[in-house]
Amino acid sequence: MIETYNILSPDFERDAPRELMLLSIISQSFFQPFSLEDNLLVILTALTSGSGVGFNRAMLFLKQGDRLKGEMWLGPRSAEEAGLIWEVLSTPGIGYVEILEHNRALVSKNQETLSGRLKGLVYAADEEGALIPAYAACRKEILLVREAASEPLVDRRFLNVIGVDEFLCIPLLARDDIVGEIILDNAITRTPITPADIKLAGLCGLMAGNYIYSTTLHRKLLDMEKMAAMGEMAMFVTHQLRNPIVAVGGFTDQLLKPDIPEDKKRRNLTIIRDEVRRLENIIYQMGHFLKVSLKEPVYFDPGPAIAAVLSSPEILTKSEGYVLNAKLEPCLPEILCDPTSFSEVIRNLLDNAFDATPAGGTVSVRGYRKNRSGFVLSVRDTGRGITNPDKDQLFRPFFTTKENGMGLGLTFTKRVMDTCGGKVEVQSRAGKGSLFKLIFLCREKELTT
Amino acid sequence: MKKKILLVEDEKALCLLYEEELSREGYAVTAVTNAEVALAELGTTAFDLIVTDIRMPGKNGIELITQIMGLRKDIPIIINSAYQSYKEDFMTWAADAYVVKSASLDELKTKIKQLLGD
Ligand SMILES: Nc1ncnc2c1ncn2[C@@H]1O[C@H](COP(=O)(O)OP(=O)(O)O)[C@@H](O)[C@H]1O
Ligand SMILES: [Mg+2]
Repeated sequence: MIETYNILSPDFERDAPRELMLLSIISQSFFQPFSLEDNLLVILTALTSGSGVGFNRAMLFLKQGDRLKGEMWLGPRSAEEAGLIWEVLSTPGIGYVEILEHNRALVSKNQETLSGRLKGLVYAADEEGALIPAYAACRKEILLVREAASEPLVDRRFLNVIGVDEFLCIPLLARDDIVGEIILDNAITRTPITPADIKLAGLCGLMAGNYIYSTTLHRKLLDMEKMAAMGEMAMFVTHQLRNPIVAVGGFTDQLLKPDIPEDKKRRNLTIIRDEVRRLENIIYQMGHFLKVSLKEPVYFDPGPAIAAVLSSPEILTKSEGYVLNAKLEPCLPEILCDPTSFSEVIRNLLDNAFDATPAGGTVSVRGYRKNRSGFVLSVRDTGRGITNPDKDQLFRPFFTTKENGMGLGLTFTKRVMDTCGGKVEVQSRAGKGSLFKLIFLCREKELTT
Repeated sequence: MKKKILLVEDEKALCLLYEEELSREGYAVTAVTNAEVALAELGTTAFDLIVTDIRMPGKNGIELITQIMGLRKDIPIIINSAYQSYKEDFMTWAADAYVVKSASLDELKTKIKQLLGD
């Protein structure tokens, strides 16, 4: 017999040991698609909510460059506000998402007050003679400060801001590097900080440090990938644009020479016209397929749209010398997609099929229900097929094996299908042909009578 | 005797343009559209200079240069490419000149003259 459990159990168990509770709150948040700021807020929340460690207030410093900067301060401003907040937080059944929502509002509301007061606080992050709070980070030690007013190591400006005599400094470390610091106090209840509190807060600090570190790394990686992709794209586009421009320029120069014979004039003009068309096509594809935002998908009848593409002049010209057949099941359902993008996707699949198939080959379009909520539209050809290494690249921007290709058609297809909750599938055998399947969400047509 | 130039360029229109323009300058131009044919031509004719593109289907221009170097033929080579960035590729240093394709063919013509010592 087996029992299965959710990896991330979402509910708060009020009677679980608080160590466990805290760990669960924080680790759950790392699996949520929250931003770095939100997740940091979760950590502060865990440190201050009654079911977590239960400090009154938590303050966060982050390391930027070689300085520690005050970022965020969570907590009530007065005993009165504390009463209100804690009442909300002890509502039975409240989860960390709700608490987070609540605290997000709190942080933005007290921007001018608590967090606002932090903004001016900046300390060197690795200095010998650092004062508290930076002292804890520089020494990489947890610090419990009591009777702060008479402690010469405490920075006076900081003391003014925090305004309490007892507080705890937790350095945030990741692989022995400082990434920030958290400062905790019980400004409202005035309860003393216990060794158990310190242990737990320390644990929290470890998790927070590693979380901040991995997020920063991840961001850097994404930036690098983006830069590399942009470089690749710029290079490709330069090439695709430069060739036709050189041809246009060169043949125009010839036209301007006085001794050019009549037949050569015609020929040059034809070349120039073709190259300009090519430029136009490149610009069209860039404009269409790299569209930043796609239109919202809607339910519509794909029948007329497919018919329109199949009978368009471009497709009619391209299909000359081929067998092109289309079979759609009767009573088509409505599919979910942006209709304009849909037509562009179909057109490109057909283009690709003809490009891959020698004259005399067959291109077939099929439309049929896969099940109650899925509709398949497929384009099959009897062309050269796709080799395995190429298969992995098909949907990458600018992957093309064509002299004049832009390699954006399938990238666009994938984006469109992702946007409407659909799927693309490819089957192909080198030398035999390919089958591209689009699977859309669908529903029965609404009867209008 | 006319000096012989081997031109490797996969774009049909450009191939035609370069062939005509260089012929006008008084060279005997053999224009081919890929590296394989270029190597075959090199086996039968003694060229004075080679002009090649880099990005081509099949063998690219850099592979072509490597092979020509292997043949120990001491022919000056000009790379004529739409890419600026290949200039930094160390293999393109093996070429005698690098020209970025431009609507004006002046730079290409000048480089050819220099290398042929005209
Ligand atoms: N039906 C097909 N048969 C063989 N290869 C294909 C087929 N469809 C797409 N491909 C391959 O995928 C590449 C990318 O296609 P696409 O993104 O539409 O860009 P483009 O058509 O501009 O090259 C094509 O260059 C081709 O190599
Ligand atoms: Mg395409």
